[in-house]
Amino acid sequence: MDKTIVTVTMNPAVDIQYVVPDFRPGRWFRASEVDRSAGGKGINVSIILQQLGYESAAMGFLAGFSGEYIRDTLRRLKLTTNFVNVIGESRTDVYIVDEVGHIETGVAEAGPYISDEALHRFMKNFDRILSRARLVYLGGSLPPGVPQDAYKDLILRCKEAKVPVFVDAFGPALTAALEGVPKVVKFDHRFLFSTLGYPMGDLDDVLELVSKIHDSGVEWSVTTYRAVGNIFYTPEGIYLVDIEREVKEQMVSLLAIGDALMAGLMVALLEDMDVEKAIRFAQACSLEDTLHVKKGIRGRDMVESLMPKILVEKLD
Amino acid sequence: MLVGDLMDRDLTSLGEDATLMEAIEVLSRHRIPGLPIVDAEGRVVGFLSEKDIVRAALPGYIDLLEDPSYVPDMGQFKVRMKRASMDSVGRHMTKEVVCLSTNDSDFHAALIMIKKNLKRAPVVKEGILVGVVNRADIIEHLMSE
Repeated sequence: MDKTIVTVTMNPAVDIQYVVPDFRPGRWFRASEVDRSAGGKGINVSIILQQLGYESAAMGFLAGFSGEYIRDTLRRLKLTTNFVNVIGESRTDVYIVDEVGHIETGVAEAGPYISDEALHRFMKNFDRILSRARLVYLGGSLPPGVPQDAYKDLILRCKEAKVPVFVDAFGPALTAALEGVPKVVKFDHRFLFSTLGYPMGDLDDVLELVSKIHDSGVEWSVTTYRAVGNIFYTPEGIYLVDIEREVKEQMVSLLAIGDALMAGLMVALLEDMDVEKAIRFAQACSLEDTLHVKKGIRGRDMVESLMPKILVEKLD
Repeated sequence: MLVGDLMDRDLTSLGEDATLMEAIEVLSRHRIPGLPIVDAEGRVVGFLSEKDIVRAALPGYIDLLEDPSYVPDMGQFKVRMKRASMDSVGRHMTKEVVCLSTNDSDFHAALIMIKKNLKRAPVVKEGILVGVVNRADIIEHLMSE
């Protein structure tokens, strides 16, 4: 049987995007457009992988009405799921997109409490699916009750099964995950600077931090650079990546752009693309996601048409 | 249409070593009437339905009775249920499982489910659980055509 990609979303959410032109706090507005979707980093990655033609299995915890909405949405999308249902309510995250001011505002909830029994059941499911996994993605926040080193635990299980791991996290969950040494890690350097107590610095400081992560054995790391660009630390060197200015002006929403990037990078590495092509492909996935309100990408051909718009500079 | 196209790709399942208590919680939280029981690799080795759980709390001679009024009262039933709740799922599951294949036709699936009076059947690919088909899925599919 073919091996599958596994995505883990410990704390899924219903993402609601309201498009409110000229939004300002303290007033009532009527949304000109609403997009409601199943979300959380791993779930977003699963959806985008499907749009790129790859099957995956989404795992994690679901609770309450929001949990039922998420499961039903994924069922209708014909995605493989293996969630543990718990008491409480899965998160609802609200994003307000202001197309006039080009500003996005967001409010996120904490998520349901996860008991030891539920976590134990999840781990059993994870071990079971690991026997037929080709790649594992761990992403997003940890809900209350889940230990901060849960990602490290999962990474070590993957290593034992010789399955590469991609991680996109922040705060203590990320620092613990780094101890497990995943293959690829994506992070917002501002969170890591504050978590590790580093002073917020310039590009050189970011590069020093990324180099340290790389030296610990992480093969690829990606961190944000300017608003929508990224720094890619790869086995073949460091790359600064940006987007052509004229395309930047067409951006509408930043929701899930990091997830699109990670899904693109997974596909690129599974297809053995060379480093520079892999970077272009991953960044083009992210760019495509920004060009419309609806989360996700509109197809692989759209992504490939955007690859020439990605500016890649290799640093000495 | 093939079963692989109409199935629910949900892998909710338990191992044989799980307790009935755990199974009751999963059935309740997931609002499903039964679940596949799998081994460490995800191979289907049994199926546990609500009926199997109820049967676990009933006396062994229940099949010999024609009139269910001989069944012990609710108090005794609760005691027996609590006692059975720590039993392993493997002890009470149905071992001869009717599994569908992803390559089976919708017609074959409908026939099997009606003939065997199944609400829910696991779908396997090379023996590994890849989803489930509910009677409701088939009806929804037929109505949408």
